[in-house]
Amino acid sequence: MTPGRNAAMIGLTLAACVFAAGPLVWGLLTSIKPATQVVAYPPQLLPTSPSLEHYATVWQQSNFPVYFRNSLIVTAVSVATSLALAVHAAYALARFDFRGKSALMFAILATSMIPGIAILVPLYNLSVKTGLYNSLAGMVIVYTAWNVPLLVWLLKGFFEKVPRELEEAAQIDGCGPFRLFYLIVLPIARPGLLAGAIMAMMAVWNDFLIGYTLAVSDQKRLVPYGLYAFISNIGIDWGQLMAATVLALIPVIFAFLIMQKWLVQGLMAGAVKG
Amino acid sequence: MSTMVAFASADSAPPGGARLPLPVVFLAPAVAIVFLVSIYPVFDALGLSLFRTRYAEKLEFVGLANYVALWNDPATWSAAVHSLVYAAASLALAIPLSLGLALLLDAKLPMRSTVRTFVILPWVMSQTVVALLWAWILNADFGPVVWAIHQTTGSRPAMLASPIGAMVALVVVNVWASYPQATLLLLAAVQTIPKELHESAHVDGANAFQRFRYVTFPQIKPTLAVVLIQLTLLYFNMVTLIFTLTGGGPLASTETLAVRVLKVSFEDWNIGRGAALGLVITVVNFAFSAFYVRVLKPSDPGGAS
Repeated sequence: MTPGRNAAMIGLTLAACVFAAGPLVWGLLTSIKPATQVVAYPPQLLPTSPSLEHYATVWQQSNFPVYFRNSLIVTAVSVATSLALAVHAAYALARFDFRGKSALMFAILATSMIPGIAILVPLYNLSVKTGLYNSLAGMVIVYTAWNVPLLVWLLKGFFEKVPRELEEAAQIDGCGPFRLFYLIVLPIARPGLLAGAIMAMMAVWNDFLIGYTLAVSDQKRLVPYGLYAFISNIGIDWGQLMAATVLALIPVIFAFLIMQKWLVQGLMAGAVKG
Repeated sequence: MSTMVAFASADSAPPGGARLPLPVVFLAPAVAIVFLVSIYPVFDALGLSLFRTRYAEKLEFVGLANYVALWNDPATWSAAVHSLVYAAASLALAIPLSLGLALLLDAKLPMRSTVRTFVILPWVMSQTVVALLWAWILNADFGPVVWAIHQTTGSRPAMLASPIGAMVALVVVNVWASYPQATLLLLAAVQTIPKELHESAHVDGANAFQRFRYVTFPQIKPTLAVVLIQLTLLYFNMVTLIFTLTGGGPLASTETLAVRVLKVSFEDWNIGRGAALGLVITVVNFAFSAFYVRVLKPSDPGGAS
């Protein structure tokens, strides 16, 4: 490789990194600037005296901690539930033959193609009818159902890769199908479970529409709607808003770093594809 | 149908009850919740769309009147145009960008895995977070973009306040939010191309463009098609980013069909008509997917995996 070409590659790489990370870096810098500097024009890149005052204000004087707690609960419960449902369904589809299996698999795939926006109204009605409107439980149920199809497809692939001989050997040793699944197959599929959990976690944590449609009171809001409510207030405090945005990103950035290894190896493709 | 099922049902039956086969037990809960939350609502929406409604109440059966009203409403057609412009402009930028980045990330770079992490970063951000970060960057009073434009042209445009400016901003932000997903898929595809192919093309005197055209491109064509479809549907169905960044405005200039569903349903509270429009969007999704399956089939060599 010629030196000129090398320099061009490095220049391109730097440009790509600035393009990708620039907006977040700008938000991050804003969140630690003193209030007067946030609204300086021309804008200044670096904070004169960095401080966490905006974070303290958001955490102590707004309802953000409530949104954060709600989002944590809804995400944790719905991810755990959808995984529990999906591992069983995926195993049944990966290992057993029965009438209507391919129709069922097609139906599962088809439901994951129904755009969320199209069924918001019925879900709103359903939640009102069942008394689950404005409750965390209602949102947990919807997110659980939305995660299941993708997880089933992802995990089915993992189960199909578990060597059949292993299961046959266990069966010969007198292991029944239920024990076989819980004690032998499930532990082997752990990487698949982790990948699925992270994908589902990001989807739930990041979703705006269900929280917007199914919760009305400030006490039941999730983080995305909470952030949006900040901006629709008159007289936005951008320092605080950026602090809240950074806080909202922490869980997903954390998940992203766990997933890094697969991303770098290009192995996420199958999972992203669903 | 099989011995496995028979075997499962014969497994140590508990006292006092016939046992269901394992696949049924394992599938039933997942199928039940998906049915309740994803399939039943589609039929519910179908029912609602045939009624005149007030708030969540069905008033009277009106047949296809909601669909006819949508057809006759100029707002539907301008929203359709906005959807088309938004999706087409975003695709035109996102496809070359994500392909270029995939090729860059596949090359021998210093600190390659760190670079990959940075470039993929926007992928983790919710559309709400993206909208807020960019609302601040594009802020007409204190934002760096406006400042840069001010420096070069002498004017300070309030991008989000003009119809064209808002659409341009929205497309750019959308591309920024969605290219990582495409880049990941394309990177995975590029990585599977054997290096020997490139080397022998190089030996045969092919230049960089020819190597892309005759070696890389044919190998990634199926993935490129998948990316094209995924992004098209993503853009066509996108609500949150538009709703939180521009609210569909100014003057409804960024109101797409998907955003219109939300507004008709929950701002105008005409849920019968909102349900009708939502179903139209669903039909477009399925039609598009069916078209894509048909187009892709011949180029999918394995099929089974």
